[in-house]
Amino acid sequence: MILLMMLAALAAPPQTRDPGERAFQRCGGCHSLRPDESSSTAPGLHGVFGRRAAAAEDFAYSPAMREAGRRGLTWDADTLERFLADPEAVVPGTAMPFQGGPAAERAAVIDYLRRRAR
Amino acid sequence: MRPFRSPLAASLLGLALALPAAALAQEVRYYDLPPGGRAHDVAVTADGEEVWWTVQRGGAHGVLDPDTGETTLVPLGEGSAPHGVIVGPDGAAWITDGGQNAIVRVDRATREVKVWPLPEDIGPINLNTATFDRRGRIWFTGQTGFYGRLDPAADDMQVWSAPRGRGPYGITTTPSGEVWYASLAGSHIARIDLDTGEATIVEPPTPDQGARRIWSDSHGRLWVSEWNSGNVSVHDPRDGSWRTWKLPGEAPKTYSVYVDERDKVWLTDFAANAIVLFDPVTETFRSFPSDREGANVRQMLGRPGEVWGAESGTDRLVVIRYGG
Repeated sequence: MILLMMLAALAAPPQTRDPGERAFQRCGGCHSLRPDESSSTAPGLHGVFGRRAAAAEDFAYSPAMREAGRRGLTWDADTLERFLADPEAVVPGTAMPFQGGPAAERAAVIDYLRRRAR
Repeated sequence: MRPFRSPLAASLLGLALALPAAALAQEVRYYDLPPGGRAHDVAVTADGEEVWWTVQRGGAHGVLDPDTGETTLVPLGEGSAPHGVIVGPDGAAWITDGGQNAIVRVDRATREVKVWPLPEDIGPINLNTATFDRRGRIWFTGQTGFYGRLDPAADDMQVWSAPRGRGPYGITTTPSGEVWYASLAGSHIARIDLDTGEATIVEPPTPDQGARRIWSDSHGRLWVSEWNSGNVSVHDPRDGSWRTWKLPGEAPKTYSVYVDERDKVWLTDFAANAIVLFDPVTETFRSFPSDREGANVRQMLGRPGEVWGAESGTDRLVVIRYGG
């Protein structure tokens, strides 16, 4: 049992000093930051800044998100902040739920995306 | 704390359903919740006198009196964003709190809140869902690629990395006491060895199906809601068999699954904006569309005669009563 616990600890991601990277762990269960890597569950976030909603070509978005894109929703710091604060208010019908975390953590995630997702 | 009083605005829809006479007595009722809370999961107490939901965007344990419609919110702590709630063997609410990265217990009588944080070095694992084994230990999933176990009596928590990384989502206990989880990103289900913690993967027949939630029927067969494929599937661990059915509609998105005491299978379909009842005997579906757009029922749970869902998109709870 002790060995298992040690293995689990080794397999766990080390605590990072980058608050954005640490906060992004909440997102990483579904989203990838690698180029052109959407999963069947969630679109990839590489290049998300400046991208219109529902514009990743390799992901089957919900009708709600496609409609938001048609209406002109484009991802920037402001729209990401509003979306992360209450996804279903910004895009009613989106499958993505609120993920938790205070405003400072959302800001850290957005800053991390700005740095890493270009 | 002062209860938040909502008007008895629960709208009642008596649905005349084209079902056999024995199944006609079905009632759909909605309960308004404090706005903006984004109710994610729901659980009903065994006596039916309280219905609990997670106020994911508000950090609270919600309590509904289904007779009066009155709601009470119990704050869970700073940064709380609860995802799952179940009724524990002690009658308390047990909550997977992704915001606090902790397992949380709320006593039913006193509303006392007790928090068991996960080990700090693991970081936020996007805590998802929990189930109790038959030894009084609660098992939980973390969508970033973990599952774990808390023995509340000993304050002992252990966390394991999932064998294929990110994805662990729904989790359930079979009548014989086995614990299984579903991996959404990993598109598989897995049985956890309750002694060693080792997880053994079992692959559904549909590739990349997105096994989101899982529930056991009375025979220990495991029902799986497949998000990507829009299927519901069932696995019998006794013979290794699988069967799969596509939900109605062009492109269903099967989010949740719950099996009631009659072994009828309740599903939710985001594409149809509906709760869907599947009868494994007749292999037929019956749809209960929400009366509002974007309902997003993410989970269901019940007790004999009734099944509850949480509409995160409309800040409501929904109950379907079908008789005992």
